Amino acid sequence: MKFRPLVVSAAVVAAASLALTGCSGSAASSGSGSAPTTLTLGVLQNINSFDPAQAHLGHQMQIYQAAYDTLILREPDGTLSPMLATEWQYNDDNTVLTVDLRDDVTFTDGATFDAEAAKANLDHFTEANGPDANQGKSIKSVDVVDDDTIDITLTEPDPAMLYYLSQAAGFMGSPDVLGTDGVKTVPVGSGPYILDKKASVNGSQFTFTKNEDYWNPDLQKYDKVVFKVLTEVTSRVNAIVSGQVDATLLDPKTSKQADKKGLKKTSYPVDWQGLLLFDRDGAIAPELEDVRVRQAINYAFDRQTMLDEALLGEGEVTSQVFGKTTEAYIPELDDAYAYDPKKAKELLAEAGYADGFTLEIPMLPDTETFMAMAKQQLADVGITVKLTSATIADYVPNIIQGKYAVAWFSIFQGEPWVAIRQMISTDAAYNPFKTTDDEIAGYIDAVHFGGEKSGELAKDVNQYVTDNAWFAPWYRVNQLYYSDDSKVTVEPQVQQAVPNLYNYSPVS
Amino acid sequence: MLTFIIKRIVSGITVLVAISVATFFLLYYSGSNIARNILGEYATPDQVAAKEHELGLDRPIIVQFGEWASQAITGNLGVSWFTSQGVAESLLTRLPVTLTLLIVAIIAIAIFATLIGIAAAVKRGWIDRVVQVGAVVGEAIPSFVLGVIFVTIFAINLAWFPATSSIQPGAPGSAWVLSLTLPAIALALNGMTSTAQQIRSAVIAQLEKDYVRTLRSRGIPETVVLFKHVLRSAAPAGLTVLSLHFIGMLGGVVIIEQIFALPGMGALAVQSTVLGDTPLVMGVVIYTVIIVIIVNLLVDLANGWLNPKVRVS
Repeated sequence: MKFRPLVVSAAVVAAASLALTGCSGSAASSGSGSAPTTLTLGVLQNINSFDPAQAHLGHQMQIYQAAYDTLILREPDGTLSPMLATEWQYNDDNTVLTVDLRDDVTFTDGATFDAEAAKANLDHFTEANGPDANQGKSIKSVDVVDDDTIDITLTEPDPAMLYYLSQAAGFMGSPDVLGTDGVKTVPVGSGPYILDKKASVNGSQFTFTKNEDYWNPDLQKYDKVVFKVLTEVTSRVNAIVSGQVDATLLDPKTSKQADKKGLKKTSYPVDWQGLLLFDRDGAIAPELEDVRVRQAINYAFDRQTMLDEALLGEGEVTSQVFGKTTEAYIPELDDAYAYDPKKAKELLAEAGYADGFTLEIPMLPDTETFMAMAKQQLADVGITVKLTSATIADYVPNIIQGKYAVAWFSIFQGEPWVAIRQMISTDAAYNPFKTTDDEIAGYIDAVHFGGEKSGELAKDVNQYVTDNAWFAPWYRVNQLYYSDDSKVTVEPQVQQAVPNLYNYSPVS
Repeated sequence: MLTFIIKRIVSGITVLVAISVATFFLLYYSGSNIARNILGEYATPDQVAAKEHELGLDRPIIVQFGEWASQAITGNLGVSWFTSQGVAESLLTRLPVTLTLLIVAIIAIAIFATLIGIAAAVKRGWIDRVVQVGAVVGEAIPSFVLGVIFVTIFAINLAWFPATSSIQPGAPGSAWVLSLTLPAIALALNGMTSTAQQIRSAVIAQLEKDYVRTLRSRGIPETVVLFKHVLRSAAPAGLTVLSLHFIGMLGGVVIIEQIFALPGMGALAVQSTVLGDTPLVMGVVIYTVIIVIIVNLLVDLANGWLNPKVRVS
């Protein structure tokens, strides 16, 4: 056995790895020297499946929008405009929605978009059990009227139906692939871009190229769109600061680094954060049944200090759960429960808890900072908080199963009816104890059957849940969206975690 | 020799089976809300039940494991619950990144640790003291801390390297080199110092042996004595440490890949574990265990080749 060959090969490898490590390519920036017609976005979430019925609102919308068109297009300000649907009209009691469709659209596999295709998609959506299946909950049946018209019959009026048709429920895929295994990994839609599977790694990067036969070139501003899945905020800030992505979402702590770099900041409130006082009937925590106790909890928080400490002031304090951009918003309610520990103590005493009581609140990882503050402030008025640790995977399921009397959450402030069905109505995920009474049920019904007026009528719901302290909101959080404005112009999207894909355009 | 290899493979398969069973059961008893997490918070209990039925989660764990195992034996690792992609396909697209990273790091460790270790053993004096201190410091700083520091200095401030991976299918070789350099150094530094320390001790022990004096008295050049005779006798100790580092790096690579957003197996392991994506986690575990078994086998073979005494035992 000779030792020599090993020495030689080791020397070669050594030289090679020296070449590797000693390589100081002058300003070798990869990915940033791309052509001006490539858009690279840092996204927070991977998607489960390219089946349009598995689409999920929020962070994942952009990826689906590349491949699929929706029936209705939601403008940046929330206005609904035609897309694959040209017109829509409700009947008198808002239970049948007649939708006129375009007749000049073809899917990338050659299938034609028509009334049959739209019906196939909506039927598939209601059966496919996707993350946003609740958007199709009120659809009773879909009927083909003629080649380019469908009737969507609802079990009952749904003030959010049109909005849903601009979201997950509205994505239209080729009827030939719906429900197949293939469409899970390769989308077949009529959208502005086509997935380049060879240049994509699921969970890491999705690359799309321009659909040459697209019916609406106005929406197609790039030759190529790349989504880099960056779940860690550290990776996102590194990627945008070093020019690897053109735009992405950051948080208050990381955003300072992007500010220093001179990147453009677009901030708009999407979520409210604070406590949800679920157990208003006192099933687990009997004390919460008394409205004065819930109000006391609200008065206990010095919201501005919490906002400054936890989010570096990136947001606005509020005591209401409806967003500023919705018709349900009542400006005065923002300081309905201004910081008043004295009043909190009085209310507790009136309710018979002069000596306070103990309350259990679950705590997620990375929320320790503000949960500790919340604990301290509640202790100041006499409520002893016991923080129990919770895991991300179990948190929401436990909430929904009614295991927590009170929990912290970050909830997106959608259209009034969407928000009501999210946390106020008896079938809402975030109303696990199904709290209700005749008064609130009446207000909810008014919104439900209010047609055009339903947004305005939701003010009553807002007033009621604020007065009765169903929640203890702290603040509306700013989404901090950053972009390199030397390369891309971004228009923010109201009530959405990230802008629609259509809101980006290259800087010429 | 052949019996030795066969023995090793049999014990490897035993380990693989034991770890598969343990992982599967641990996942089952920790991830009770998989269907809910796939569907999101607005799904009704009926929807969740339907999804659980679809995934077969409503059956007894023994049945679930039996089905998975019977498929896995034939090489079919199933489909990810969260990405709808075949597990084998997902792993194969990501394996090259992780393996390249590990192999580059281990080669770097081997070469530099050997050179530093020999220098410390032969020269003693200040070099030796630096190596001693370096071993303690190097062992104390985790590779992910180095990773974060490297990104800040070399990627953000100096812009020599990409801050997050630019590796993608069809990317040029330069993208691989640039994307893997910083993570490989971050991974390697940690193991380099302690391996050098091992080599140093082994070389010192050898230098005091009689055969070295005999060789020198015959007028054999010092470099030949060192690199041909001493190093060969000292190598097994270094190799063993190296293989331990390789296995340790399988853990380090998980965090390093997250920091650099590398599309490797480590990042996949994190994502799939957090979600409770059983088929994918099982796939990652099986591939990882196989890699560990192969590395151990190779180290044993190399040791046997370097040192005939080992073969007998």
